[in-house]
Amino acid sequence: MKTMINIVVLACEQACPRPQVWEAGLREAGLNIRVVPEPCSSKVEVFQLLRLLARKADLVWVVGCPEDLCRFLEGSARLKRRLAHAQDYLAEIGLERERLGLTLLAAEDRGAQEEALTAIRDRALSLGVNPGRRQDPPGKEQE
Amino acid sequence: MIVGTRKPLAELQEMVKPYRRLLLVGCDTCVAESASGGRRETSELAAALELAFRLAGMDKDIRETCVDRQCIHEFLLEVVEAAAEAEAILSLACGAGVQALAARLPETPVLPALNTQFIGETAERGLWLENCRGCGDCVLGLTGGICPVTRCAKGLLNGPCGGARDGLCEINLAKEFNPPVPCAWLQIYDRLNSLGQQERLLEPMAPKDWSVGDSGGPRRVLRPDQRP
Repeated sequence: MKTMINIVVLACEQACPRPQVWEAGLREAGLNIRVVPEPCSSKVEVFQLLRLLARKADLVWVVGCPEDLCRFLEGSARLKRRLAHAQDYLAEIGLERERLGLTLLAAEDRGAQEEALTAIRDRALSLGVNPGRRQDPPGKEQE
Repeated sequence: MIVGTRKPLAELQEMVKPYRRLLLVGCDTCVAESASGGRRETSELAAALELAFRLAGMDKDIRETCVDRQCIHEFLLEVVEAAAEAEAILSLACGAGVQALAARLPETPVLPALNTQFIGETAERGLWLENCRGCGDCVLGLTGGICPVTRCAKGLLNGPCGGARDGLCEINLAKEFNPPVPCAWLQIYDRLNSLGQQERLLEPMAPKDWSVGDSGGPRRVLRPDQRP
């Protein structure tokens, strides 16, 4: 029996207007992915990142705009500080800081998008299942 | 407001280890403003404890709630109900809130998640400064609204001392502060200057009445008109 790796991507709608592209890219690699659109990456809170890791996710990735392109001016900068705070929490917990990832890219930058998808896939596969998350019920496990 | 900081996760884990069903109770006023015990921080800590205990191979039932003010009993009624199923409560309030909740729940351990620090002010985003000691004999009217008891490292009533340099307190020499600690008495001078009240500085301040401070046991305020 093999436990599926769950990835949750919290994606700024400005940076990631077509989430289905991200979902398709990672499903091809055999990963279970869900993209959650956010009005701005700064809406992502520390408790959401930790709660996702506690309940279902093996890897949580946030996608935002480059700092100088953020529509809400400080959104991406705030996100970076919050993510660092959440990673400090993970270090205290004894879980890898790398289970929280971040990419800042412009919506039209296809190259950066491809790089991000590769980084997410590689990170998810190298970290594997998060030992701190709730276990899947038996029906959800996959061969 | 009261400023608090979260205890280290390892200390909290050790504290709540004997209990399986936990209720985390936040306080959404002072400690929410100081980003240590409001709704967000309560949810953060609940998730962090869930992760940490699962990593340690322990199964805990961790729930969370938050009230507007834990130090006022009327706000605690809903917590009392939610606490019925919990073996222990982890409160993210200041010490006053923890004790008020404990008084409401005589048969349930109520444990502190925060270290209560001081009465302070949000000076900048992410920076809280101690500005009041609750000395019971306020002199702010004489010092341009800047408290020498709290903000002068020596608590001088007639300053500055000889240690101030470039507008900064000499405690900056002993330890690195970011931002550095200003000399409160130079701030008082500047403030009185801008108010046109420099002459106040020519009058030595009389000794304060320290008997109304915290050295005489727990203090209380009694208002007959507010009593039942």
